[in-house]
Amino acid sequence: MRLLLAAFALAALAAPAAAQTAPAAPLAPAQSAIPHHDLIVGAIETYIRPGFRRFAAEAEALAGGVVALCAAPSPTALAEARARFRAAVLAFSRVEFIRVGPLTTADRLERLLFWPDRKGIGLRQVQQALANRDETAADPATLGGKSVAMQGLAAVEYLLFGTGAEALATGDAYRCRYAEASVTLIAGLARTISAEWDDPAGPSDHMLVPLPEYDDFRTELEVIEKLAATLIHGTEMIRDQRLTPILAGKAPRPRAALFWRSDMTVPALAANFAGLYDYFLAARFPDAVAGSNEWVANSAIFEFQNAARATAVITAPLAEALADPRQLRALNYLVLITGSFDTIVGQDLAAALGLAVGFSALDRD
Amino acid sequence: MWRRRAFLEAAGAGFLASLMPGRAEALAQSELLLASAVQQSAGRFGAVVLTETGRLVHAVDLPVRGHDVTWSAAAGRAAVFARQPGLFAVVFDPTGRVAPVTIASAEGRHFFGHGAFSADGRLLYATENDFENTRGVIGIFDVAGGYRRIGEFDTYGVGPHEVLLLPDGHTFAVANGGIETHPDYGRTELNLTTMDPSLSFVDARDGHLVGQLRLPPELHQLSIRHMVVDARHRIWFGCQYRGEAGVNPQLIGYATLDGEIGLIELPRDALRGLRNYVGGLAISNDRRTVAASSPIGGALLTFDADSRQVGALVDFRVTCGAAPDETGFIATNGLGHMAGVAGSDVPAQDFPFQFDEHLRVL
Repeated sequence: MRLLLAAFALAALAAPAAAQTAPAAPLAPAQSAIPHHDLIVGAIETYIRPGFRRFAAEAEALAGGVVALCAAPSPTALAEARARFRAAVLAFSRVEFIRVGPLTTADRLERLLFWPDRKGIGLRQVQQALANRDETAADPATLGGKSVAMQGLAAVEYLLFGTGAEALATGDAYRCRYAEASVTLIAGLARTISAEWDDPAGPSDHMLVPLPEYDDFRTELEVIEKLAATLIHGTEMIRDQRLTPILAGKAPRPRAALFWRSDMTVPALAANFAGLYDYFLAARFPDAVAGSNEWVANSAIFEFQNAARATAVITAPLAEALADPRQLRALNYLVLITGSFDTIVGQDLAAALGLAVGFSALDRD
Repeated sequence: MWRRRAFLEAAGAGFLASLMPGRAEALAQSELLLASAVQQSAGRFGAVVLTETGRLVHAVDLPVRGHDVTWSAAAGRAAVFARQPGLFAVVFDPTGRVAPVTIASAEGRHFFGHGAFSADGRLLYATENDFENTRGVIGIFDVAGGYRRIGEFDTYGVGPHEVLLLPDGHTFAVANGGIETHPDYGRTELNLTTMDPSLSFVDARDGHLVGQLRLPPELHQLSIRHMVVDARHRIWFGCQYRGEAGVNPQLIGYATLDGEIGLIELPRDALRGLRNYVGGLAISNDRRTVAASSPIGGALLTFDADSRQVGALVDFRVTCGAAPDETGFIATNGLGHMAGVAGSDVPAQDFPFQFDEHLRVL
């Protein structure tokens, strides 16, 4: 027996069970103003594929920078490797929230960035490898089989910027080989992920042409729901994994921040928000709610612009920024913005497009 | 099961007369009383007690989102627990005549959204997170003592979700989801690569571990979350898969106090609708039919606990709440709909609020 209950008649009850409450603003009937397929194509072709190509290129450049550093250590070569690391972090920060498709298989996300790492597992393992001159960590063939916490961007950051990293400028062969093994793995993963997104027969195929017999996407509406959920999970990730750990304690904790050693905490945050903004536009959500629900897109754009202004206020190093009330306020404001997105996307956008992403469908409870 | 007559007896002779006429009439004409946490509007949360005909009996406000409602006929109270990482539980009188009591989470603990009363209604138990020590506990609250927290038991696992008091009245079944969370990281799941779910049996009298069951190691990313007990005292459990995309393991199994545990084989078309996520389980009144729901897949299925044969496959967007009636199940969803499914003749109804994950019969 299969019953279809999705389309309920709005049969009014004789007496409503609870007081009626009005939404924040009136919503026009739930329907996209453009075909669902156009949103999917926009997200994949205008944002996801170029974004992962860019990350693959920056990861390749990072690998090249570290190879050059190891071949000819110098302050200049170390500075260049560090600059390429920062560029790779920015490119990664613009796509890490794409939690669909190639990034979500084979622990790839964790291999690229093991975070959050509340117990400092990655730091401990990297320091242990350095102390023991663990050769299995200095060879990509064996490093790939070791703990994921030892091989991603957080590990590379410690190797290039952490305690003792200055020795790379004059020659610390083991540390450099370990860094080289790590960035080789990162570049390989980035290349693979980008290639899979670019493959017409790859994971994008089910998104572009969903079918009832597929385990992942049965309908275009399900794909749109996943694309919208990506926005919500993206801002939730910023709040729960990047901002709250710094701000939740009795006093701000700069060392609970991601990428604090490379002064990339805030640039990465800004790239997260900017990436989500570009993704929002590329996926044509504003076009989808054009007309009487245009205010929903305008609300999101307003908050993305607020986020850009707030991140611009915060300067490196993070420890000093957190000691400055104005900059600390900006970080706390970013938390508020992420909460605002919960409503704008989870409630208003979902209601405007008839998506089941707003309330319990996103739970992991 | 607390039906209308039992409810009225527990509520006392004056209750019906004390209700507003509309509500008294609703109660007189209904058979079932249902409870669920709800979202009333963006950012406004509560819990409601309804009849199956959609009439409100009682509602309480909650400061943030609730999750499950548990109740005790012996205590005459229901308790709704904040969704994890929850900092409160609210105990309320479903008749609305006694003011609700809010229980704050203890220092270093937060609620996980589920709990249970003792059979005699004197104690309330709640699954909690000892988050600094990454340890699940069952908080114990004294009902007569103003819900003072009087102790805790270990759940012998990480991330406990639902707790049931088994029919013997002195053994807990605890679904240790295996997922580490910490309030400093919101709802972020911190250990997906190393998670270790289990189903623990804990003695409610002294907290000792009666037994602990795990699925095979290759299924360690299958988080055990919700449970029901069938007529043969098997503990059916529903799982949520946190492993990589593209893998679609079986999601439902059962365990016994004798140490048996395993997943059952559901057909692919039934499993597909769940989308690797069982949001809740319910059991029929005769305790022979299990219902499993998935808000992510927008699906509810039922199967016979003995034959494992699938009975109903229902497409119902964002559905999660499920509760039995005499002939089938009543389902609710996050869009504010309620409907009878799988044999129930409860009519489809819309509400001006969104139902949260669990629907319970009082």
